[in-house]
Amino acid sequence: MSHEVEIVLVEDDPNDAELITRVFRKHNLANALVHVKDGAEALDFFFAQGRYADPPSRGIPKVVLLDLRLPKVSGIDVLRRLKSEEATKTIPVVVLTSSREERDLMDAYELGVNSFVTKPIRFEEFAKVVSELGLYWLMVNRPCDS
Amino acid sequence: MTEASAERQLRLILQDFDEERRNLQRFQKATLNLLEDMQEDRSRLDQTQRALMNILEDVEVERGRAEQANALLEAVNRELEAFSYSVSHDLRAPLRAISGFAEAVVEDCAPRLDDEGKRYLALIRENAHKMGQLIDDLLTFSRVGRQQKVETQIDMAALAGSVFEELAPQAAGRRIEFVVRPVPPARGDRAMVRQVLMNLLANAIKFTRARQQGRIAFGYLAELAGGAYYVQDNGVGFDMQYADKLFGVFQRLHPLSEYEGTGVGLALVHRIVTRHGGRVWAEGREGLGATFYFTLPEGDNP
Repeated sequence: MSHEVEIVLVEDDPNDAELITRVFRKHNLANALVHVKDGAEALDFFFAQGRYADPPSRGIPKVVLLDLRLPKVSGIDVLRRLKSEEATKTIPVVVLTSSREERDLMDAYELGVNSFVTKPIRFEEFAKVVSELGLYWLMVNRPCDS
Repeated sequence: MTEASAERQLRLILQDFDEERRNLQRFQKATLNLLEDMQEDRSRLDQTQRALMNILEDVEVERGRAEQANALLEAVNRELEAFSYSVSHDLRAPLRAISGFAEAVVEDCAPRLDDEGKRYLALIRENAHKMGQLIDDLLTFSRVGRQQKVETQIDMAALAGSVFEELAPQAAGRRIEFVVRPVPPARGDRAMVRQVLMNLLANAIKFTRARQQGRIAFGYLAELAGGAYYVQDNGVGFDMQYADKLFGVFQRLHPLSEYEGTGVGLALVHRIVTRHGGRVWAEGREGLGATFYFTLPEGDNP
């Protein structure tokens, strides 16, 4: 198993997921990407439940890209859970959302989000933001190893 | 006693009796009158009481209605909140997909596309972007209507300076002279007033585009309408007969092909100034520039 999971993408919009994955692929960052489609699946993934109950060793992802408005369990609730559990609280979480509401911004920061990014509509900007995010969190940022 | 005197005696007694009876009758009548009066008074009292009860009931009903209206207003507000949240989230996502997959076609299928095909794709992306801008502007517009106003003292000269600095990238490569004349402080919501200056100065930069030397001034006229701030430019100006249309949503006086914009900026300016109890108006002449005036509550002079 050479590829540990480095990026977890929590995104319910298949278009956004495809566009984001495409950008990562172009930068050779997509091999270690896992895409989960809603908040419940995200929690299953992180806490080894449901279809992720018997996982091979995946290591700790270097970054989670989290959409806010998700079916079943909202992004804010996923964030709350991740930041409150010992095993997951040091994983960097970047909210990547269409929302521009102040409320979301405040909620996310209060829960300890590591970064908050609004998805630009213009694709060139979107692609740039996504690739910068990937490069920064995978190449530049030093994760908490313990 | 003779029979005659006995008879007189008897008549006298009978007379007395009669009188007593009459007295009694009078007394009875008086008592009855009194009782009647009392009855009347009581019924009047009853009436008053009933009237009072009615009024109380009315008050209760009114209060119930007011509470209902309040609850309705709150519900509507919540709904509006949820609506604008959906707009900001759900309308944006398909736009990004349109723009993104158009880009993907350009990148991945370029060899199979001729120039016309590429141009069409560029148009698709451009329009997706425009619609995004429109959504943003409308959201800001609706937000200004419901946001709480936080009033503080505002140093208008400093604010105008920092706004112009922020707008500098839009003026890159152009010669624009920006002058801030002496202006008094105002009182208002800082973020909102900042938006007013942002929109007016951005317009000034935009509409002086065709000038070799753009000139923009921010100042104050104490003698005008009890004191009005103004943003003046030497840009393309406008025809005064359309002056009343300037501040309407989606109203534009210049063709999109020459000057981009969604037609929301000045409507937003109008909304903010009005919410501050101020007034906004404009003067202009085609080809000779425009001046936008607005009033705001006075700040404390230092």
